[in-house]
Amino acid sequence: MIPVRPRRRLLALVPAAALALGLTACGSSGPSPAASTDPAAALDTPTTLTFWTWAPGLDKTVALFEQKYPKIKVNIVNAGQSATEYTKLQTAIKAGTGGPDVAQIEYFALPEFALSKRLVNLKDFGAAALEPKFTASAWSQVAVADGVWAVPQDTGPMAMFYNKKLFDELKLEPPKTWAEFEQVAVKIKESDPKRFITSIDPGDAGGLDSLMWQAGSRPFQQKDATTVAVNLQDPGAKKTADLWTSLLSRKLVDPAPGWTNEWWQGMGSGRYAMWLTGAWAPGNIASTIPDTAKDWRAAPMPQWTAGDNVSAENGGSAVAVPSTSKNKAAAAAFAIWLNSDPQAVRSLNENGLFPATTELLKDPAFLDKPLTSLGGQPANQVFAASSAAVGKGWQYLPYQVYANSVFKDTVGQALGAGTDVNAGLTAWQKRITDYGTQQGFKVTTP
Amino acid sequence: MSRRTTPARRRPSTALTLAMGLMLLYALLPLVWLFMSSTKDTASLMNSFGLWFGDGFHLFGNIRDVLTYDDGIYLRWFGNTLLYAVVGAGGAAFVSTAAGYGLAKYRFRGRTALSALVLGAIAIPGTALAVPTYLLFSKAGIVDTPWAVLLPSLVSPFGVYLMRVYAAEAVPDTVLEAARIDGSGELRTFFTISLRMLAPGFVTVLLFALVATWNNYFLPLIVLSDPQWFPLTVGLNQWNALATGAAGSGVTTVNFYPLVVTGSLLAIVPLVVAFLFLQRFWQSGLAAGSVKE
Repeated sequence: MIPVRPRRRLLALVPAAALALGLTACGSSGPSPAASTDPAAALDTPTTLTFWTWAPGLDKTVALFEQKYPKIKVNIVNAGQSATEYTKLQTAIKAGTGGPDVAQIEYFALPEFALSKRLVNLKDFGAAALEPKFTASAWSQVAVADGVWAVPQDTGPMAMFYNKKLFDELKLEPPKTWAEFEQVAVKIKESDPKRFITSIDPGDAGGLDSLMWQAGSRPFQQKDATTVAVNLQDPGAKKTADLWTSLLSRKLVDPAPGWTNEWWQGMGSGRYAMWLTGAWAPGNIASTIPDTAKDWRAAPMPQWTAGDNVSAENGGSAVAVPSTSKNKAAAAAFAIWLNSDPQAVRSLNENGLFPATTELLKDPAFLDKPLTSLGGQPANQVFAASSAAVGKGWQYLPYQVYANSVFKDTVGQALGAGTDVNAGLTAWQKRITDYGTQQGFKVTTP
Repeated sequence: MSRRTTPARRRPSTALTLAMGLMLLYALLPLVWLFMSSTKDTASLMNSFGLWFGDGFHLFGNIRDVLTYDDGIYLRWFGNTLLYAVVGAGGAAFVSTAAGYGLAKYRFRGRTALSALVLGAIAIPGTALAVPTYLLFSKAGIVDTPWAVLLPSLVSPFGVYLMRVYAAEAVPDTVLEAARIDGSGELRTFFTISLRMLAPGFVTVLLFALVATWNNYFLPLIVLSDPQWFPLTVGLNQWNALATGAAGSGVTTVNFYPLVVTGSLLAIVPLVVAFLFLQRFWQSGLAAGSVKE
């Protein structure tokens, strides 16, 4: 063990040094002269903005913006989704050129960009005033370390999507607590050994994160710029891990990668009775399994204590302005308009994004709208209630993209094999701690 | 076929035939799946048996969707891939041939060191060079242009090594001496005499490079952000990411699954055609290097 580490550190240093060289070299080419910080004036100056986003259909909302501010042209570029985009964005920002003016970044990756000063602090452009417009949980994801680093675009409050037809056939009720969840899981298995109450994706850190979040776990806490606390064995994490170990070891839950052909077949054929996920799911259900979409309904998440009302988020993203943008004021104005103007927010929602703004979440027209994909259920009521009940204080690591990339080698192994999930969490904690230390963070562990 | 000496006649082995049959099946199954899936819409893609037709025959509708989505960006990706493969692989084969020939046929200071360097360069995977390459190109101002994909494709240390070994054997020194005595310059000798003798090696390197550039994924992924310049590999992966919505945010209003499957089917057609057409060159190229004439 001991001789391995210094060599590793040396290897890690080589690209870092190369990047540092590139960075200083580019820095000398000169920062642009003091740019305007007045968004209103910027919107009146002919500008072309490059916007990196992978959400299809955003062009409709952007067209509304261009109609309103004809001097600004927004060039939408899909530079890759999630981790792919972040790799590119990191490289482009380090190189100083080639990056966009505005970029879609998921909440989990945002601290990584914000804390390494790769984003513009939108407070300088008046974004602090936006706080009352957004849900508390969405705002807490973008307001990290005394700055506002992005404007929330959409959120994913958790809900329990269940196959009502199957539940009716088996004379079952959607479980209200996790204890009931386990009992229902047994009954579903007894009805047909090929059925599972749900599946869990051994490669998706976000899935288990959300379940732990709902159980009260707060495993990642940023103390200051260089100190993070990591505790994947706090009471919330432990009880989540124990429950899923029990479910997986008895083969009540299927450890299957999500979103694949087989997985959707399972969703359509009744192999999976439930899907615990974010409120953005109905659109996917409607477009991918149109034949059985009407059988599905949404219900609140099972609770750890009967009568409680605690939820969590799964997914969701925000829109930020990279520090290398040459049109910062116009970019900030665009990001703010896109995600907080009522007309824009409505347009985003029509495109399937679940809102992050409270105004729409309170709108009766939104709440009572029957969702055709869920058999006409006014499911937005369930989602809005979940959004209001999201547990406070959840944070991500300043290197969550890396942490998520090693999830499948640690926790994923336990999930896939149906062995002790706590052992997997301990292994994940070790990888997170080692990497953080190598990167120069002080990682405190309990 | 007729040139080959027929081996002593053996009785066909049932076990071997069976094993070959299984291998054939194993190789063809994914293709059958791909074809069958291209004929389905999203619903039957998700609820019908993978190796048979689903509800209705949607192949032509799917092809139309692939070709028209986002103003026909797929065709653009197709053209890009052809450009990168043809120009990149052709250039790589030519550069490798010239360099390998030079290293094999001329004595100059540092020749051994240069050969060692080329040999060492084979050991460095392109993936490890991607980020430094990006930084270099960024300074040169060619990031997000086709040059950023084409220039690295031109460099093929393995091709240089192969051509060096091949040229040493295939071009006799005596021929070069004869050419010099007759007053031919070195360049003229190379283009009119040596290049012909090197043709089988050239085609072999060309095929290697062609497959490598056609499959190139990581480099274009890093150096290109504008979808207008994507090759098929990166473009299709982008559609796949949109289909799986892996990030859990944003709902797809377009059915990307049939687009991905049908797009993949169309993407392998040129490769299959190229392979069927170039196979004979490939075979003669490989064999030519193995026998000293």
